[in-house]
Amino acid sequence: MSGAKPQILVIDDEQQIQRALRTILMQQNYHVIIAGTGETGLALATAIQPEIVILDLGLPDIPGVEVCQRLREWTDLPVIVLSVHENESDKVAALDAGADDYLTKPFGVDELLARIRVALRHHSKAKGSKSSLVTAGNISIDLANHLVTRNGEIVRLTATEYKLLAYLAGNIGRVLTHQSILNHVWGYSEGGQMEYLRVYIRQLRQKIEENPRSPQYILTESGVGYRFIS
Amino acid sequence: MKKWLGVFHSLVSSVTAIGVVLLCSLILFSLRSYLSTSVIALLYLVPVVISAALWGKIAGITASVLSFLVFNFFFITPYNTFRVTHPQDFLAVVVLLGVAILTSTLMARIQSNLETVKVREREAVELFNLSTDLAGTSDIASIVRSLAVRLAEVFLSPKVEVEIVTAATQASSKPLLVQVPEEQVGDPGQMVRRIPLVTQHGVTGEIRIWGITEMLAPEEERLIQTITRQAELALDRALLAESETRARILEESDRLKTAILSSVSHELRTPLSSIQASATSLFNPAVELAPEARADLQSLLLEETEHMSQLVGNLLNMSRIEAGALKPQRQWNSFAEIVDTCIKRLRRISTQYFMEVDVSEDLPLVSVDAVLMEQVMINLISNSIKFTPSLSTICISAETDDQNIKVTVSNPGPPIPEEFIEHIFEKFYPIPGRDPTHSTGLGLSICEGIIEAHDGRIWAENRPVGVAFTFSIPLAWGGTRPVLPVEEREE
Repeated sequence: MSGAKPQILVIDDEQQIQRALRTILMQQNYHVIIAGTGETGLALATAIQPEIVILDLGLPDIPGVEVCQRLREWTDLPVIVLSVHENESDKVAALDAGADDYLTKPFGVDELLARIRVALRHHSKAKGSKSSLVTAGNISIDLANHLVTRNGEIVRLTATEYKLLAYLAGNIGRVLTHQSILNHVWGYSEGGQMEYLRVYIRQLRQKIEENPRSPQYILTESGVGYRFIS
Repeated sequence: MKKWLGVFHSLVSSVTAIGVVLLCSLILFSLRSYLSTSVIALLYLVPVVISAALWGKIAGITASVLSFLVFNFFFITPYNTFRVTHPQDFLAVVVLLGVAILTSTLMARIQSNLETVKVREREAVELFNLSTDLAGTSDIASIVRSLAVRLAEVFLSPKVEVEIVTAATQASSKPLLVQVPEEQVGDPGQMVRRIPLVTQHGVTGEIRIWGITEMLAPEEERLIQTITRQAELALDRALLAESETRARILEESDRLKTAILSSVSHELRTPLSSIQASATSLFNPAVELAPEARADLQSLLLEETEHMSQLVGNLLNMSRIEAGALKPQRQWNSFAEIVDTCIKRLRRISTQYFMEVDVSEDLPLVSVDAVLMEQVMINLISNSIKFTPSLSTICISAETDDQNIKVTVSNPGPPIPEEFIEHIFEKFYPIPGRDPTHSTGLGLSICEGIIEAHDGRIWAENRPVGVAFTFSIPLAWGGTRPVLPVEEREE
């Protein structure tokens, strides 16, 4: 692992995207390694152990979702998937297979850089001292003591609200799919009660957000899930 | 059977004729002393003519012969014998027989001509009825139905079937079969007459009429054939009309495709030319750009790529709608959440506008595809932005009644002329009073496609000030409403 420069592995077969990502990311002081196929990508990931993987879902040899699964067999390094226009089911499949985040092509560079920064920050944090305290703005969530405070004042939550918030905050920065939230909080295995999720997300936002109609912490990922950011 | 019926009929008419002659003889016999032989002979023509006129040739001849015998026996001296003594009487007897036979033959011929005329008339009436039935119909199924109904009526048949095979039925390998009456009451019997049906344009089939034999009277046979020919002609006409319609539809869709293609390339070229212009000036070392100009061109680059990306997304969605491949992933969603997400996504292009959002979080959850619904809202809002001067207020509101949620996006922009308001959701509909290449694009027709895929409807209307686009979607999904969690106690 290199010292100062974080290494990014880009797995994408389109040359123009490779070229653009290499130039842009190198300017941002990242070390960029490019793989044109899924198999090369997997081999390179094992060999160089990058800090982050950017993975295109439409690869010529193996499906991106499968690459994701095989990466997750041995590593928890952050994976950001790139998918084409509005293909929600692919994104959801990749996220359920262990990807941390997604971007829809075409995307802006600022968006990509923001995602990379978030992923790197949370990953390094998670690797370090396993802190049970999550802070986001004026919110702090003490996962060990089941305590949520806002501006130092205790926020009173119901059991389900707390469970939902703890799951979101415990995966800070990651996109969690509807299904994975339903599994985790309610234990529904198949196509559970989306209406419960909607109702509790609204309640949580009312309790922790400054402006629940323009949320800062619990973000909606349309058709995919929710994400907690700091 | 028919033959025996004929014999029976002749027998009855002969007996009736005999009766008439005998009755007449009785009357004449009582007047025998007052009338001369020649007058009696003349009067005997009355029963003969009556019999011939009313019961036909056989009755006429029977009456003639009987009159001749009775006249000879009772009225010619010597009475009660067949002997004739006076040559004058002999003449009277012979003349009576001759005139009687002649008259009855003539009468019978008139009668039979009358019959023929009647049959012809019936034939004409039936054909007229059939052609009246067929004239109004141009689809094959109703022609076949009219034919079957008409045949059942004409031949008083207990059951008629018409079965035909056309190119269309061949494709589905199931022939078109019409049966009259639809519900068979009782046994139609074993007797079936089958008539083949073949047209010049490839329709084949068969008519089956129960209750009539292979041996029909010639006029009935002719009637069947004529009706069949008529039906064949009508079927051919319908087939031709059908293929003509198909050709016209193809032509129309071809024309539409060309129009769309030219609109698409126009719409793509507009942002592309701004991008190219900005990029070339930014990279041209010979062009000295002031910092503001540089910043302006850079933001133009961004805006136009965004615009193009939206357009390509719209095209993709449109092709999915057209192909019927747009399957909404419906889930219970909060419309407030959907609208809030859209407002956030539109922040960059809506800086010059005020957004007034009146979509309560307390509205019931709706079963929609959140991504598609965002697309609808974004299209409606960006459409409002496109046609409203900057610094205007765009209002987004939602309300529900028992059945539906109704969402409205309104802007204070110029009204849409009433005659165009119906067409505003058509693809690339040219906007009146503008450059003909400038059209509604795809945004609104995608909205319509998405809303219809959600079993809803969308419409535009002019308000006292500005224009409003509204759509409504049923609240129930598969007949159910969302199940809400029970409220919990806070810890």
